[in-house]
Amino acid sequence: MNAIGLRTLFQKEIRRFLRVPGQTVFSPLVSTVLYFVVFGSALSNRVGEIEGLPYVQFIVPGLVFLGIANNAFLNTSSSLFIVKLQGTVVDLLAAPMGPMEVLSGFIGGAMVRGLLVGGLTWAVGALLAHAPVAHPLLTLLVLFLSAYAFAMLGFLAGLWAEKFEQVNFWPTFIMLPLTFLGGVFYSVKALPGFWGKVSLLNPVVYMVDAVRFGMLGRSVMSP
Amino acid sequence: MDAPVLRLEHLGKTYRSLKALDDVSLSIAPGEIFALLGPNGAGKTTLIGAVCGLVRKTTGKVWLFGTDTDVDPVTPRYQVGLVPQEVNFDPFFTVAESLRIQLGYYGKRADEARVREVLEAMQLSTRADAPTRALSGGMKRRLLIAKALVHRPRLVFLDEPTAGVDVELRQQLWAYVRKLREEGTTIVLTTHYLEEAEELADRVGIIDKGQLLLVENKTQLLEQMGERRLSVTFSTPVSTLPASAESFGARLESGGLRLTYSERHGRPPAHRLLAALYTAGLPVDSVEMERPRLEDVLLEVLRAPPSRERPSPPAMR
Ligand SMILES: Nc1ncnc2c1ncn2[C@@H]1O[C@H](COP(=O)(O)OP(=O)(O)OP(=O)(O)O)[C@@H](O)[C@H]1O
Ligand SMILES: [Mg+2]
Repeated sequence: MNAIGLRTLFQKEIRRFLRVPGQTVFSPLVSTVLYFVVFGSALSNRVGEIEGLPYVQFIVPGLVFLGIANNAFLNTSSSLFIVKLQGTVVDLLAAPMGPMEVLSGFIGGAMVRGLLVGGLTWAVGALLAHAPVAHPLLTLLVLFLSAYAFAMLGFLAGLWAEKFEQVNFWPTFIMLPLTFLGGVFYSVKALPGFWGKVSLLNPVVYMVDAVRFGMLGRSVMSP
Repeated sequence: MDAPVLRLEHLGKTYRSLKALDDVSLSIAPGEIFALLGPNGAGKTTLIGAVCGLVRKTTGKVWLFGTDTDVDPVTPRYQVGLVPQEVNFDPFFTVAESLRIQLGYYGKRADEARVREVLEAMQLSTRADAPTRALSGGMKRRLLIAKALVHRPRLVFLDEPTAGVDVELRQQLWAYVRKLREEGTTIVLTTHYLEEAEELADRVGIIDKGQLLLVENKTQLLEQMGERRLSVTFSTPVSTLPASAESFGARLESGGLRLTYSERHGRPPAHRLLAALYTAGLPVDSVEMERPRLEDVLLEVLRAPPSRERPSPPAMR
């Protein structure tokens, strides 16, 4: 086990995204704020309450989840792709690091970015709406696991991608539909018939709902 | 011979139907400089890749420092350094940061003195804090070399280390490679500058179409297969050679103004021909002698490969 190697890669991954914070941290935050403004403030009067919660509050957990999932995913997929594109993957392959060290370094770095954006999103939510956390430990656990899962998916996407186009394939064609149909902005129970049934197969629905339960103490699906 | 640093047995790599490496067996002794020569696409980079974990071998075995890399691929790599043929750089980091990261990958703690030392050796000190993307092509290659050496490996692969490097630095790099060897580092080098191999190598391997055609001590190889070309200019044209010179098989050129002779293994030495010319009283104006060149040897081996059946002397393999 090459602990120093792992730590080096982990820190390198963090410093990499911190080098371009506008792109990796603040741009996701801008879209989050916009979601709050547009969906939360503008729509909330019309929508009223969902599941007994004010709409602005209802969407906070989902947005935190989105921030984490998207950024954890994007960090591993783009970092790995850049490493392949630039040829620096050679350094990793030739180094005395096994698959465990390499994978952990990438995943760890991506989770930090995901959780950082998620945390900032929550802070924005707390500013613009009331954002309580009913079950902090459970919330952290779910967010942590979500970050892990999406960092892993991003790693797979980065491994698979050989062209720039393919790096964007996943976020656009898989992640975006999964998350938008994942009950972030509405209760999946509100979807009638066919789409409601399809939604039940979407794992993101349950992740978002778990975060919602952790934060607001209430969930859409019964556990 | 000491226990080999690197041993390959029947190493093979096939891409679809292309045999990039075909049954290559080779041992590299500690402290030697081994030059792997061959035309484009011969399999040099593939061989290095198969040893360093960049290429998955199809058949055969690789031992690094006596460790079977199928059993433990990771541990031996602490001692290996690689200058890849393709220049790579991490656009997010500076020159010095890249070296620190590299040290970390190899399990070494931060060591600023070592980073400075390597930067110094590759003449990158003034660029230490420059982003890697701001380096010129040759400087990027120097950074590549610095990265390969920063963790003090015992075995270094240099895949065309001096492509695009300026004359002065190339000379310095040669001196540095010799210094590394003196410190006991083993070096495997590929290059298309045959002068470089001539200058540095203890042993030479010639590879073509994935097959290792020949492995030989450089000095012996040049002696046995190299030719020394003698060319003599006369002040007035010479129409016929005396019988004593004729017997060498030398040729008259330029209307009798020039005589050339190629001394090869098994032929009489050129100085005897010269003596014969002087004795015969020919109007010798100037004499030029070329040292044997690896280039000629390489071309000849590629043209007419020695039969693979012929066993090489055991010490050579
Ligand atoms: N990833 C790959 N897929 C398919 N064929 C490959 C691949 N990599 C190398 N080859 C082929 O393997 C053969 C050996 O290539 P290699 O790069 O080892 O040659 P080389 O001796 O290093 O040549 P050069 O002097 O040009 O660097 C070539 O025919 C090359 O086209
Ligand atoms: Mg090559």
